[in-house]
Amino acid sequence: MSFLVLQNIKKSFGQTQVVKDFNMSIDKGEFVSFLGPSGCGKTTVLRMIAGFESPSDGTVTINGKNQNSLKTSQRNIGMVFQAYALFPNMNVFDNVAFGLKVAGMAKPDIESRVKDMLKLIHLEHLADRYPYQMSGGQQQRVALARALAPKPQVLLLDEPLSALDAKIRVSLREEIRQIQRQLGITTVFVTHDQEEALSISDRIVVMNAGRADQIGTPSDIYNRPATRFVASFVGTLNIIEAIVSDPAANTIRIGDNLVTLREPIAALKNGDTVSIALRPEAGSMSETAKCDTMLSGKVVSSHFLGSVIRTKLDVGGSQISFDMFNSPDAALPQPGELVSLRFMAHDLLLVRE
Amino acid sequence: MKPSKILAWTAIAVGVIYFFVPLIGTFEFSMRMRRGEYSFDAYQSVFADMQFRSTFGFSMLMALFTIILGMLLIVPTAYWVRLRLPQMRPVVEFITLMPLVIPAIVIVFGYLRLYNSSSWIPFTGSTQGTNILLVFSYITLSLPYMYRSVDTAMRTIDVRTLTEAAEILGAKWPTILFRCIFPNVMSGVLSGAFITFAIVMGEFTMAALLNRPAFGPYLQLIGANRAYEPAALAVIAFAITWLSMGLLQIVSRFGKLAPSRP
Repeated sequence: MSFLVLQNIKKSFGQTQVVKDFNMSIDKGEFVSFLGPSGCGKTTVLRMIAGFESPSDGTVTINGKNQNSLKTSQRNIGMVFQAYALFPNMNVFDNVAFGLKVAGMAKPDIESRVKDMLKLIHLEHLADRYPYQMSGGQQQRVALARALAPKPQVLLLDEPLSALDAKIRVSLREEIRQIQRQLGITTVFVTHDQEEALSISDRIVVMNAGRADQIGTPSDIYNRPATRFVASFVGTLNIIEAIVSDPAANTIRIGDNLVTLREPIAALKNGDTVSIALRPEAGSMSETAKCDTMLSGKVVSSHFLGSVIRTKLDVGGSQISFDMFNSPDAALPQPGELVSLRFMAHDLLLVRE
Repeated sequence: MKPSKILAWTAIAVGVIYFFVPLIGTFEFSMRMRRGEYSFDAYQSVFADMQFRSTFGFSMLMALFTIILGMLLIVPTAYWVRLRLPQMRPVVEFITLMPLVIPAIVIVFGYLRLYNSSSWIPFTGSTQGTNILLVFSYITLSLPYMYRSVDTAMRTIDVRTLTEAAEILGAKWPTILFRCIFPNVMSGVLSGAFITFAIVMGEFTMAALLNRPAFGPYLQLIGANRAYEPAALAVIAFAITWLSMGLLQIVSRFGKLAPSRP
């Protein structure tokens, strides 16, 4: 049975509907990321789970109990905010102890729980520090400890890494995931950073204009995007316009190249235009590469980016980027050079709107 | 030295002379009570006066009540406007500025008309009631300064997120307000308190027209009947104000250490 269920959730602010019929079931101990651009409604859904916003329609259920009528303070949810939100007048110990004191826990129990939490985030030695005496990464770890201290049934993370620098971001996201696994706490993570979502989630919800465009594992989302939006938002993707050549044989034409798709296109007519997606890392120029499909084109540009070489090809008017790993012996393809891009047919994805 | 710097220093010098020469003159005059030599006789005379002690004590008490009640009114109001009613902000700002444009004498005549002994709420019918009315009128007078100092302090913290952080940890409104918000706007609260204290200690119109034995009317009475003591009282009044301002500066400096931002 699902632990956290969002059923037919809708939310409007005045005339604007920011969340449209959102449905999602999250299992106990699962780590789910809401991924999407600014204004897609991901934070609004999170805030409805927390109780800061009331759904215009639909229900939020946690562990079988409808939460709609409960106030935020009654939901037993932990939350970490983008801006840390540590109480500036309290030191680390008092910040972590705040929820426990509010719950009326006995002093010795509070002390032991706070110590456990500080140990969990490796900041036992900073118990007496005030927020302004700590770095952003340390403050956010304290915020995580504070959220976890009262043993919440669900942990909500509202872009907790956005205000941190790149290195701290990577180390802290790994730490968050490790703590989440250790405690087995059901977690909802909101981010607009696809790398963050792909690297730490059990499942990802890609949100677009108030709807969940796709819900799936990171691998599903990346390798099998369900819509054009998901395909373009997650990772870099080539969208190629092609003409249906023979629907019964699943063949399409890209410039002068005839390509057979794995996905059936029998519903389409000869001459219809379709959008096909291809990841830049799927192709190779090597003649020994494992492939069953080939596209011929002219090199437009080629850039050395350190670990990879990014080459842009013109194939029948469509520009296709592809990446190949850097090798000291590899020669940079020259503009105007005619080359063949080899890949497996199953790497070509039919994009739906 | 550049001409612009010379101009700046000249302006500062003129300002210093304009403000300090009368003050030094007053101080010098207050020391001349004993013929032929400087002494603190005028100050001794002032401090020995029972009326000075009682009026000073009365005004101190009024200032204390004004500060406590004013803060209990203003902190939750500023908090609520910032959190839930941002659209009401211009209205509240306008209301809090009104005591600056309406003369105190107009306000006190309004009070006397509304709260006289034959009205529905006869505040002036008793000493206690008049004292309460005086505290309320002082709160009104200090509104522009109190509201602004508290509101400015609230601007330095993320009120909404701190409230939400406390709320999700199970805290209820009194806990949020008094344990999470109030301590973080303490610098603003104290700034407002010191300004209020200075205002109340020197206020004349309200206290005189409500016929209360406050420090302001006492200053006026001594000024009309004595020679050296008014000068000594003026210096004392300045000292009180400067002490308040000094404390305000110290508090503001401590306040700057508190906010934690990403």
